[in-house]
Amino acid sequence: MASSVLTDSRWIARGALRTAAPRFLLWLAPWAAVLAVGIYAAGLCLYHGLNQTHMDNRFAFGLWIFLDLGIIALGAGAFFTGFLVYILKRVELKPVLNTAVVVGLICYSGAMAILMIDVGQPLRAWFTFWYPNAQSMLTEVTFCISCYLVVLIFEYVPLLLRNRQLRRVPSFLVFEHQLHKLVPVLAAVGALLSFFHQGSLGGLYGVLRGRPFAFREGFLIWPSTFFLFILSAIASGPSFLMLVTAAVEKVTGRRLVSPQLYSRLGFISGVLLAVYVAAKCLDTLLWLNVTSRSVGFAPWQFYSHRPFGTPVLFVEIVILGLLPAFLLTYRRFAMRRGLLLGAAAMACAGVLLNRFVLTIQTLALPTLGFDRFLLYSPSWQEVASFAGVIGYGVIIYSLSYRYLPLFGQAKGNTYVPGN
Amino acid sequence: MFPGTDGFTWTFGHVLFVALFLAVALTILATVGSAVWRTLGDFRTHRAIDLCWRSDFAEMPEGHRRCRHELASRVSSRACDNAFDCRHCSQYATFAALPPKAATDSIGINYREDCFYDRGHTWVKPEPDGTLTIGLDEFAEHLIADPDSVEMPDIGDEMEMHGTAWRIKKNGKQIRVRAPIEGTVTATGGPKEGWYLKLHPRLDPRDPATLRHLLRGVEVRGWLSREMERLQLQLSPPNTAPSLADGGALVPGLMDAIPEADWATVLDDTFLEA
Amino acid sequence: MSARYGMVIDLDRCTGCGACMVACAAENNVPPLPQATPRTGLTPLLVRKVSNGMEGGAQREVFIPIMCMHCEHETPCVSVCPQQAVEVDKATGIVMQMPQRCLGCRYCMTACPYHARYFNWWDPQWPAGMEKSLNPGVAVRMRGVVEKCNLCHARLHAAEEKAAASGRREIDPADYIPACVEACPTAAIRFGNLADGKDPASHEAHSPDAFRLLARLGTEPKIYYKSKEAWVKALAEPGSGPAWEDQHG
Repeated sequence: MASSVLTDSRWIARGALRTAAPRFLLWLAPWAAVLAVGIYAAGLCLYHGLNQTHMDNRFAFGLWIFLDLGIIALGAGAFFTGFLVYILKRVELKPVLNTAVVVGLICYSGAMAILMIDVGQPLRAWFTFWYPNAQSMLTEVTFCISCYLVVLIFEYVPLLLRNRQLRRVPSFLVFEHQLHKLVPVLAAVGALLSFFHQGSLGGLYGVLRGRPFAFREGFLIWPSTFFLFILSAIASGPSFLMLVTAAVEKVTGRRLVSPQLYSRLGFISGVLLAVYVAAKCLDTLLWLNVTSRSVGFAPWQFYSHRPFGTPVLFVEIVILGLLPAFLLTYRRFAMRRGLLLGAAAMACAGVLLNRFVLTIQTLALPTLGFDRFLLYSPSWQEVASFAGVIGYGVIIYSLSYRYLPLFGQAKGNTYVPGN
Repeated sequence: MFPGTDGFTWTFGHVLFVALFLAVALTILATVGSAVWRTLGDFRTHRAIDLCWRSDFAEMPEGHRRCRHELASRVSSRACDNAFDCRHCSQYATFAALPPKAATDSIGINYREDCFYDRGHTWVKPEPDGTLTIGLDEFAEHLIADPDSVEMPDIGDEMEMHGTAWRIKKNGKQIRVRAPIEGTVTATGGPKEGWYLKLHPRLDPRDPATLRHLLRGVEVRGWLSREMERLQLQLSPPNTAPSLADGGALVPGLMDAIPEADWATVLDDTFLEA
Repeated sequence: MSARYGMVIDLDRCTGCGACMVACAAENNVPPLPQATPRTGLTPLLVRKVSNGMEGGAQREVFIPIMCMHCEHETPCVSVCPQQAVEVDKATGIVMQMPQRCLGCRYCMTACPYHARYFNWWDPQWPAGMEKSLNPGVAVRMRGVVEKCNLCHARLHAAEEKAAASGRREIDPADYIPACVEACPTAAIRFGNLADGKDPASHEAHSPDAFRLLARLGTEPKIYYKSKEAWVKALAEPGSGPAWEDQHG
């Protein structure tokens, strides 16, 4: 390999094979462009106001809230994998732990960035911390997500400090060593926080007494959506990790983890997905027949408006729920990587559909007897802002992969059997 | 609202919420704070240098972590798993009892039988007055030849094993010579006498365990032979197949003779940087 | 004894003239917002035109003024605000919104089943000279916060000050009349203290023709509607039949 004038080899670990610097920049360029457009769109929204979006008084939540909830659910792999490795001692999942942390960091920081644009007065964000409403699910979400982002940053710092050049600073190296020893504590705290905020995100919808489509009974103060969101998040987290790892292997052209890891992650995801589907079916029946009827809403009223008919419910629970659960857990398919990844994608899509339905369909449906069913489609600023987050995520991950030991030891980042 | 603001009243929800939040915040702070505290403690007790060394050791390629007993051919193959800390190696006695295999062919570089060698290319010579003299071995000297500048420690400075003994600058490269043993600096040598320093060791030099971790005799030969191989491979011109010449001696002033080579990598490996 | 301010709106009398909407906008310093669409406009009081869905001679229409219902029980918007920018004033039963504390997260807007909350999608602007017509008693809201009807709380405040000036503890009910009530030419909107048995509004709220929208949700709204027409009464229930909103929804 010819060494070019432009080289960052001093930053890359010894023995790690990485593509040449110019080619890496070429890879980053389109994502950087997407990020740039996203920043511009976000800037427009901050400068001119939220009239840049197509949200309105009937659709107070839109694309951003739906996608925020989506990426937080998918980023649940971060806390759940940490929980499995450090608390339940499932060490066979260790190779993807670092990826899970980076993905989690990207998802949560991206969600926070979008939330800061989504609110009308971002500079007042500290009000929630100073005047918290203990009754509100959104307060709980704000606190937990902020704390968890801090935890994720401190889980990422040891990884960062293992960079070849950064570790030459003795204080960084020793601090990394000491912090790394305490990572199990952070993982436990992270698991606790995530449990609560994944649930509270579900609780956001479940407590809406005024929206019978979303409202659920539950256990004590927690509506059933609290538990359903936790289940769906921990079910889709490992699936999303599978997809990310497969994508990284594809892009780098390198085998980074053992094939068994995919089937292991898939099995965990599939089992949890099956539990979720069972719980969701029970919850749906209860909600349609008991909860909603008691306030005068008949089930047909929720599903009589195109395009949100009962097929959507069927797709969410059966096609993107039960089917991937089966595919991921059926032993015969354990080594069929393509099938597993397809099922993982379906599981993730199912969770995204669930978040979409609860955000958009809830607001589209009429509540008053004389309301109309309404539609909403996002503006380019909304789409571009979120696309910017994806660009940001790919850049962060790419940089982390190039300069940090994400997969095992830095020397020779190819998979070593028996590791 | 928090206590102290208008209209605030404590309810069970408030107590639970504030308690949980404080517990989580305190845990995070305590964890990070503990890591910072321990880090500071490590630097105070000089444990930091040992931690850094062990971390650097773990990052070295396996080919550079061969056990000294493999170098002396007492065993056919063994990787060190203890950061070359033979003083605290449970296996040392077992392997040291095995007979080494002596080789006679020239390795192209000289070494002294009466000295102990550290793999950072320094030699240690115990003096009759109980001090130790530490200098750069011929391999390192022939690489560097005339340094641009040398930064020796001051008399009375404390030195930790694997810490910095002295620093050299050559052709824009920074070289950190690792201290092979811990002690207090009693004298330093300058450009005319050759760069060296005298150390009053912290442990008793008459105790065999003090210098146990240093290579001697056949081990040095085995090690230097591999170092010469490594050097030749690393200095091979790019885009050609690697070649190893047999025989031949290392000429002094290599850094000046082949300025275009990848000296950063060569020096990192020579002086055990990660 | 604390008051429970509410309204009874006689839908058989409402002509849909919209004077109440204009008075509300004037009283509350609502900006003109020429760039707004029907779904992004700012109308703390909105008169909605509903038809019974029939054709020809059988077609009937009703005008329903919608504003914040000042729900009393498990008020949906109060429990969800993360900043406690919304609270029920115990002394008056008015659901208070603090725009200065509002973050603009719009969670309360998703919670409200009556769509009574409005977001400031734009910076408030008035054509040159019109700022002289602003009501000095009501603060102007900034972009990015939610607002809604607060039963002209500034007028209640003025009535309280007047009472205090004359040494009285209780206000004179005649001093506290919201703008929409004052402006309505047919006196379709009756306002009063529902907790006071002697108050005519309280009396009307107990009329057999009185109903509340979405009463079964259990939020206990304090805005009552009154009509002798059966099809209008049926509008209180969700999905009640072929009646459709003719305007923007």
